[in-house]
Amino acid sequence: MADEPVLEVSGLSVDYILDRGNVRAVDDVSFTVSRGEFLGIVGESGCGKSTLLFAVAQLLSPPARLAAGTIEFQGQNLVGLTDDQLSAVRWRDLSVVMQSAMNALNPVKTIGAQFRDAMRAHGQRHDKEIAARSAEVLTMVGIDPVHLHSYPHQLSGGMRQRSMIAMALLFTPDLIIMDEPTSALDVVAQRSLMVQIKELQQAFGFAVIFVTHDMSLISHFSDRLMVMYAGQVDELGATRAIFDRPLHPYTEGLLEAFPSIRGPRVPLRGIPGNPPDLAKVPSGCRFHPRCPYAVDECSEIAPDLYPIEDSLVRCLRRKDGSLTP
Amino acid sequence: MTTELLKVEHLTRLFKIGGALSRRTLHAVDDVNFTIGEREIVALAGESGSGKSTIARVLAQLYKPTSGQVYFEGKPLSAIRSRAERLRYSSLVPMVFQDPFASINPVFRVSHGVLRSLKLHRPELSEAQRREEAARVFEVVGLNPDMLQRFPYELSGGQRQRVGFAQALAMKPKLILADEPVSMLDVSIRIGLLNLMAKLRDSEGVSILYITHDIASARYVADRLIVLYAGQIAESGPIEDVLTHPRHPYTQLLLSAVPDPRAPLSVAAETDHGEPPRVIDPTPGCRFRWRCPLAIGTCSQVTPELAELRPAHSAACHVAQNSPEEVKAFTP
Repeated sequence: MADEPVLEVSGLSVDYILDRGNVRAVDDVSFTVSRGEFLGIVGESGCGKSTLLFAVAQLLSPPARLAAGTIEFQGQNLVGLTDDQLSAVRWRDLSVVMQSAMNALNPVKTIGAQFRDAMRAHGQRHDKEIAARSAEVLTMVGIDPVHLHSYPHQLSGGMRQRSMIAMALLFTPDLIIMDEPTSALDVVAQRSLMVQIKELQQAFGFAVIFVTHDMSLISHFSDRLMVMYAGQVDELGATRAIFDRPLHPYTEGLLEAFPSIRGPRVPLRGIPGNPPDLAKVPSGCRFHPRCPYAVDECSEIAPDLYPIEDSLVRCLRRKDGSLTP
Repeated sequence: MTTELLKVEHLTRLFKIGGALSRRTLHAVDDVNFTIGEREIVALAGESGSGKSTIARVLAQLYKPTSGQVYFEGKPLSAIRSRAERLRYSSLVPMVFQDPFASINPVFRVSHGVLRSLKLHRPELSEAQRREEAARVFEVVGLNPDMLQRFPYELSGGQRQRVGFAQALAMKPKLILADEPVSMLDVSIRIGLLNLMAKLRDSEGVSILYITHDIASARYVADRLIVLYAGQIAESGPIEDVLTHPRHPYTQLLLSAVPDPRAPLSVAAETDHGEPPRVIDPTPGCRFRWRCPLAIGTCSQVTPELAELRPAHSAACHVAQNSPEEVKAFTP
């Protein structure tokens, strides 16, 4: 990572202020995203991955509250900016593609009208240029520009999701944050959308943060992978390295939880138990109640993120940097 | 092949769409034939809109077929007239739903649903026996019987889905209709449910119709695979044989799109930007022809019939049926 990062998140924590007390949904998360990099964030529901995205885009709303940390985007700390300052950055330099395009698009406006609104909000006044750019981005994602006159319900799920991505591309941002953009799609549509995102990324050089619960989906697309568990980063490293040699027992379990359509049919174990309630996280290592390798000290000592080669791993077995279990 | 439990013959289910004066019909399921044997898990796979849930609903008697017939243990479903017969069928063929958060009544304890269905479907049991039976089925599905006293909000998604299977199991079923039972669950607990389905088949002797869009999980538990496309069966057969020798171009496309970290990235699916059609007032011809790189003249004129191309393995494709060798449209 020679060049300077587009995004540098350090010590980020997010609390949900609830009647029964504060719940820390994101706990001391730090990572960087380089220019043009594809970072995958993986975890189960309730691990804090979506909250983390919302925090990075500064879209948190009560009861969620940023408790600590900084978010440096292109050298500017997004924490503490006013709404006006933020809206200048959002969409122009940093855009967000939400999970469900069905809910994210306005059902009573045509796709073109929604593109126009976004561009006008950012100071683009010439209708001709707006129309030209709208047609251009829609073509980029493989949709015929005639659909600028279509309403969301006239498009299929895949096309709606593509037009959301087109909308995120209107200003050629430096970073696009995607929250499970393919989860509502069928496998075939999902695959072609992933390929399209990757092609656009290579063509325009924007960085992507891609949140998903499906590790296998991004195995061929992301440069680095961040695995989250119970609000913390469990493992962060190069995607290929993690798939070839998962260092955290949770990552290992996740990889084992996917049946394959190739090779011998082997019985899988999955991961016993359930992800913890963030209001009562286990003592010591948060994964120890479900961990097949847990020893006594795991329930007492909370592990740090230990560096191993180019990866970071939160597991006591890796404390002294050993690769073998 | 095991003894035949359920047989679906020429099943068609049409829906009228549009306004009152509209004459347009949507062919959700069109002339589908298949069987399910005893102690067999059959996976029904396809994209959304392929008709897989419609088939499940017809089998659960939530929809009446437009035409065609379903035979259960040799008797046609259309012959079911009395309430007693209907109750008997629905206890032998219960359904487990996709959404474990919406399918359990939130205001009652978990035991409520199980005990109620026991009372309705197995009236010969005394109250004490019902409680015993409820505890037994909970243990079979891997839940502590203490859980019976919990409320649904106290359970995780995986536990709720196990409750769904326990409810089904309490009725001593022959065939469980499982409509995407794991798709709403976290990856780490899906396998547990799939293992449970295999256990129900092996130790309880239950057959399962496993409806899914996830081919990899289908392969993990199922014995046979039926691939649906636009309301018709594209290919069916023993699951390993279908996956290793897919003959229908659609099956090949589907397999090439399955993300697999253990395999190199395939490029086949990238050429495809098509989508499954909504089948409204169809004309004859193969419904995959617009997306198919192998399509020939016949494909737009004659609807292909399922024909056996390998032992017990059939595909509805003119090209596959006329070529002596396996034709690859998309390499999985």
